[in-house]
This record gives sequence, structure tokens and C-alpha cells, in this order.
Amino acid sequence: MVLFGLDLDYAACVVLFCLGLYMLVAKSNLIKKVLGLNVMETAVFAFIVTAGMVEGGDPPILVAGTSPPYASPIPHAMVLTGIVVAVSVTAVALALIVQIHAHYGTIEVDELKELP
Amino acid sequence: MRWLGIALVFVAAATMIAGVADLPVHGTPDAPIHRHVGARYLEHGVAETGMRNMVTAVLLVYRGFDTFLEVVVIFTALVAVLALPRGAGKAGPARVVSPSGSTAAATSDADAVGPQQADVPVSPVVFFVVRLLAPFIAIFALASLYRGHITPGGGFQSAAIFGALFIALALVFGRERAARLVPVPARVWLQALGPVLFALVAFVGWCLTGAFLGYPADAAAHAVREAMVVTLEVGIAVGGAVILAQLFMAMEG
Amino acid sequence: MSAAWPTLLPWLVVLPLAGAALVPIVAVGQPRRAGRFTLFVVLLTVVVAAGLVWHLSLTGPFSVSLGGWAAPYGIELRFDRFAAWTLPLAGLFAFVVPFAWRYLDGTLPPERWAVFYALLLLNLGGLLGFSVTADLFNLFVAMEVVSLSSYALVAVAGRGVAAWAALKYLLLGAVSSLLVLFAVGLLFTLTGSLNLLDVTIRLAAGGPSPAANLALASLTVAFMVKAALFPLHVWLPDAHAIAPSPVSAVLSGLVVKVGIVGLLRVLELAVGSGAPLEVFNQVLMLLGAIAIVMGAFLAIFQNDIKLMLAYSTISNIGYIVLGLGLASPFALIGGSVHVFNHALIKVTLFLAAGAIIHQTGFRTLSDLRGVARVMPQTSAAMAIGAVSIVGLPPTAGFVCKWYIALGAFEAGQGGYGFALVFGALFIFVYYVRMLNAFYFQQPVRPEVAAAREPPWSMRGPVLVLAALCLIMGILGGIPLTFVEPAVSDLLLSMGR
Repeated sequence: MVLFGLDLDYAACVVLFCLGLYMLVAKSNLIKKVLGLNVMETAVFAFIVTAGMVEGGDPPILVAGTSPPYASPIPHAMVLTGIVVAVSVTAVALALIVQIHAHYGTIEVDELKELP
Repeated sequence: MRWLGIALVFVAAATMIAGVADLPVHGTPDAPIHRHVGARYLEHGVAETGMRNMVTAVLLVYRGFDTFLEVVVIFTALVAVLALPRGAGKAGPARVVSPSGSTAAATSDADAVGPQQADVPVSPVVFFVVRLLAPFIAIFALASLYRGHITPGGGFQSAAIFGALFIALALVFGRERAARLVPVPARVWLQALGPVLFALVAFVGWCLTGAFLGYPADAAAHAVREAMVVTLEVGIAVGGAVILAQLFMAMEG
Repeated sequence: MSAAWPTLLPWLVVLPLAGAALVPIVAVGQPRRAGRFTLFVVLLTVVVAAGLVWHLSLTGPFSVSLGGWAAPYGIELRFDRFAAWTLPLAGLFAFVVPFAWRYLDGTLPPERWAVFYALLLLNLGGLLGFSVTADLFNLFVAMEVVSLSSYALVAVAGRGVAAWAALKYLLLGAVSSLLVLFAVGLLFTLTGSLNLLDVTIRLAAGGPSPAANLALASLTVAFMVKAALFPLHVWLPDAHAIAPSPVSAVLSGLVVKVGIVGLLRVLELAVGSGAPLEVFNQVLMLLGAIAIVMGAFLAIFQNDIKLMLAYSTISNIGYIVLGLGLASPFALIGGSVHVFNHALIKVTLFLAAGAIIHQTGFRTLSDLRGVARVMPQTSAAMAIGAVSIVGLPPTAGFVCKWYIALGAFEAGQGGYGFALVFGALFIFVYYVRMLNAFYFQQPVRPEVAAAREPPWSMRGPVLVLAALCLIMGILGGIPLTFVEPAVSDLLLSMGR
């Protein structure tokens, strides 16, 4: 959808990215920071998939029920890989947070900064 | 910190929108993204790869090396989590809470199956539904793997469904019971299936065609191609599922 | 036989990665086997890399299309003169792994040795993959392998403190990875291709475009974070200082260069695309110069030797980036070779420091006074490393910094030449501090006075590396002439 010459779907992805960035930067709780990171990742995936779609097109599976124009398969492959990467980063981040909590007893950055 | 965050966000948003505004409007079939490489895949993909799901074709055939690195990434996550010091030292047998709220020793109920096995209080409804649906979820995951080259689905999707199933079972039946699904001696072998099977199939492809991860092109070698693809998919699915299960089990505390 | 070497290029990357998956299997029941097996895999990788470099020197740059699908319809791996960096990269790992054999005894419980070595191999494989790929998305995923293994390696030995440093590293690093993915998505949307060369051609054909500039800016910021270039360097000191010493060696010497190689790729992409290259170069020069001075200055005030070395890394990255930004022949050659030289010297320094810390149990200069009396060989290695990094002839560091300084004056940017001189002065001060404490002061700690040289599996790599620092100083001309054709090609394409 185009509004004032601006592609709204792309703009929505950018806004989502920036919301996630805000969460990452401004929230004090470590889990919320990781959630912000996840929101940013989702925004980038949405952007990539949106770029590959075709208005009124079919998924890129060439069976009897589908016909051209097809959505581009490459963004889908990129995002699939990207999701796996995002899961991996989240897993490592959460494991680190478990360590931090076990050692410091808190997962709030404000409190962590106070400690030696 | 908050004001810095807001300022940063505004700067980022402004820059990004200014750049993104220049992109061709999405959804038009003659945008650059739909010509060139993508168009060639859609046009020749079925003939060149023998698959109908072009996404799987891209993942396994055209850009198989990316998928190999992806499998390595999730393996890295597992190794990373396993490398960290274990829990807070308060890892112990699953705490057992019966629906009435009183705690009971884990050992006496070790073989009885019921909502009281869970680590957190679980309603009998949840327990019943998970138990009922679990086999169907598993079948769905298998089907997703098996038909991944002609319908949406494939290795990672299947691994994710299996992984989610494991987590649901672990939440409902208790960690100890769920951990038995992945026997300890098998873990180091199963988690390595992804990268190792990929390397093996790539080696076979190298011997057959001279190109790393090359698939034999002639029609007679159709069975070989099928076998290679299935091996890769199974490696991704089983390896990924075991890795996800282990990641969940490793997050103690 | 020689014609077959190029087809081995993918195996350069796959060997360490598949090897990493096998390490936990190999080590079942016998943790020490993990370390031996890891060294075996690394040496195999070094052999493959050596063969590839030899082939490169005979026939010039070559590329391999994976799966037989010609670029841009498939993934292309390219081995050019810059990619020859993979040989010293793997070679340095071959020193770090034996060092870790005994170092881990006091640092990690045996049940976690296997996954530690697996992480090292994954790190190596990712670095190799990053260095030889000519595909944008492949670059992203390889970078993620490196990043994830690095985050874990930082936190592996410590408790909450190390995990906190690792998490800060992770959060900043993950944002930078996302910026790379976003840029790749943008470039793909603009050009329909993921191959570096193909995208460069298509961008140039398309002319100046804000979207392309956004993508390039995004990549630049992302790689600045990875390279710890000022002002995005804040994650580095804690992470590199807290990590176990073999890990610090790898992180400071090798992983941080991912950002440099990335910036180089951005330069290649931007050529001809109408992007404001001048702005890019100016920014790099300015930030590089600030990093040189700031890193060196802050290092002076550190008491902890590993923190000192970490700030020194920030300073040296400034040198390399300044060389990139100056974009004149001398500067680029000096900067590229410094990537290799700094890696060699930093690994030497961190391993030597690690040996000292391991034997004495102390890490601060005030505690380590007089350690040279009881550990003369290790301290000598540390001294050689220090002299090398300050840049005194006839060591390895001298030649590169001299070239970058020449490049500054050659490009008419004499002011930056002075940043170099200031940086060198500061570096000189802090290493003199360190050597003074080691050699010319009395031991204050009884543990230091009673310490002895480390076992040979730790001492050997340190001594050999120190010797290499000296040798590379004398033979300094060889890497310079090796890199020169690639640099002139790059400059030619930039229109200089």
C-alpha cells in the first residue's frame, strides 16, 4: 500500500525495527532487552519477505493448484535461515542471563551497574 | 538512558525510512527482485532439482552451503549453552506439586503418570490435551519432513515442531521423564547429525560430480539425488530437534 | 594435481565445522582426546590453506561455484590475495590449541573441555568461511557462526562477571548482525542478486540511490561494531580481558578482524555505485585516528595486563582503519599487512600473558613485579611482542606502521601522520611500564617469586610465536609485495 509516495508495508517494518531497538536500549530488564532484539529480528524478516511477495501471487510451490506469478523463493530461504540464527542467538542470550542471575541475583541493568 | 534511546530511535527511523522510500514498491512482478536469479529458479527449478517446492530447492540445492552454515549455527548455539557453567547449583529432581497443592516425594510417584508429575502446577485439562495431541503433532512433524519438497515444510520446520512438542511434554510430564526421550549416550551423536550428514552428502556429491554438494544431473541418477536430499532433510530435522530439546534441558535455574 | 586444488576450497571451511561436531563424540569418556583431535583438525585445515595459497601464487585468484551452479545462481567462494589471510589465520589457531591443553586444567572442569574445543573449531570455521565467501548472505551466516562462538568463549570460564561481559558483547553484536541482514535484504531488493561482484555491477549500473547508501551505511556501522572501532568499541575491553587467555588471543588477534574484512567488502561494493566514498573514507580516517590515540592513552592507565592488551587492540584497529580510510597505495598495503602482523603479535602477547597469569595467579602489573626473574623465557617473549607492537625496527609492527605513515603523507593527510606518532608514543609508554615492572623491580608477591616457567605445551607456542614476530620483521617485505597486486587492483577500481 502506497501512501504519500511511501510504501507503508516497508515503513511498518522500519517502525517495528525501531520499536525493538527502543526496547533493547531503554529497558532495564535483561529479558526485555532480549525480547527487543527478537522484535528487531522479526522486523527485518518481515521486511525481507515483504520485498519478495507479489500482489495476488502464489507461494513458490509449483504444483497443480498454483500458477504464476509466484513469490520469490529466495527471501523465504533467507528468512528461514535467519529465524534459525535468531533462535540460536536468543538461546545463548538466555543461557547467559541464567548465569548472570545465578551470580548476581538480579537481571536489572540498573542494579547490575551498582554492583562492583 | 531513556532519552538517549528515544533520540537514537528517531535518528534510526528517519535514516531508514529515507532509504527504504527509495525502494521500488513491493508486490510488482517486474521489480528487480523477481527478475534475474529468482526468475531463473522458478523457470528451471523443477527440471534442475526434481522438487516442486522452490524454497526447499533453494535451501538444499542452489544454496545448500548456506543451509550447512545454518545447521552449524544452531549446533554452535547448543555447544555454547553446554559450555557455560551449569545452573545455580540448585538443579535437583523435579519438584512435584499435586493439584491439591501439597508436595510429595518425587520417588514414590516416579512411575505414576498424572498432572502431579509436572514441575509447575498443571491443570488436568492441559495435561489431557497435550497427552492426546502429542502423537498427532509428531506425525504432523514427520509429514512435514517427508513432504517438504512438494508442500510447505522441510527439515527445519519439522525440527521446530518436534522441539516444541518436546518442550510441551517436558512442561507437562516433568523434565526427568521428558529427558528420557533423548537417551544420554545418543545425544552427542544425534546433535552432530546436521553438520556431519551435510559434510558426508557434500563429499558424495563431490565424488560424483566434482563440485561440492553437487547433485548428479542425469535422469538415471534420480534415485541418488532423492537419497541425498532425504539424508540432508533427516539430518536437519533430527539434529535440529535434538538440539532444541537439549537447549531446553540445559536452561536450568 | 595442481588443477584439483581449487575444488578443495569449500573443504577449508567444512573441515573445522564438521570437526567441531565430531569433537564431543571423540571426547566421550576421555576429555583429553578433545584437545588432540582439535589440533589434528586444525593442522589438516592449515595444510589445505597452504595448498590453496600455493595454488594462488602460481595461477592467481580463483573461485569455486558450489554445487556446480555458476554465480550468481549459486554460492561462489573466491580465493584472492586478501583471502590468503586464511593461512596465517589457521596457523595461529594451531598455536592456540596446544596452549589450551594445559591452560584448561585450572580453568575448566574436564566435562566441558570437549565443548570448549568445539567452540574454537566453530570459530575457526566461521572465520575461514567469512574470509573466502563471495556471497552476501553466506557472509552473514558465517559471521553469525563466529559471533555466537565468540560470545560463548568469553563466558565459558567465569561465572556471572564473564556472563555479563559476554551478554553486553552479544547485545551489541546481535544488533550489528541484524544491520548486516537488513543491508543484505536491501541490496537483494535493489538488485535481485546476492553475489558480491554481481551486486557491485548492478549497483553501479543503477546509479546513486538512497536505498543503496542506506545499505552501505548499515554495513559500515555493523562492521564498525565488529571491529570495535571508536565509538562502538565499548564491548571489547571487558570481553577480551575476562575471557580465558587463549580465547583473548583469538578474539583480539583474529575475530576482531572480521570487521576489517567486512569494511573492505563494503569498499568493494561501494565502488562505482555512486555512494559517497569520500565521506566513507573521511569517517574511517577520523575514527581510526581517534581510536589510535584513545586506545593507547587508556592503555597507559590500566593495571590489569589483559585490559592493557585489550585497549592496545582498539588502538591497533585504529591503525588499520586509518590505512583503509587513507586509501592510498602505501596506506592500504600497510593496513592490510597489519591485519596479519597485529594478529601474530597480539596472539603472542595474550598467550605469554596467559602463561604468566596461569603460573603466578596474578594479572596486575603491581602484583607481577619482578616476574622476569623467575620466568625469563616467557617474559622475553612478552618483551619481543611489546617491542613489535610499539613498532620498533626490526620487528613486524614497524614495517606496517611505517607504511601507513608514509601513506598518510602520500595522500596529503599529514595531520593523520601525527596521530600515528602520538599513538606510537603512548604505546611506547605503557609497554615500557610493563617491561619495567617485569624486569627492573623486585617481586612483591611470594607466589610470583616461587613461580616457574610453564609446561612445554604452553611454553613452546609462546616461544615460537615470539621468534616469528622477529622473523616477520626481518622478512617483512614478503607479505607487503604479496598484497600489493590486490591493493593496486582495488585502488584502480576506485579510480585512484
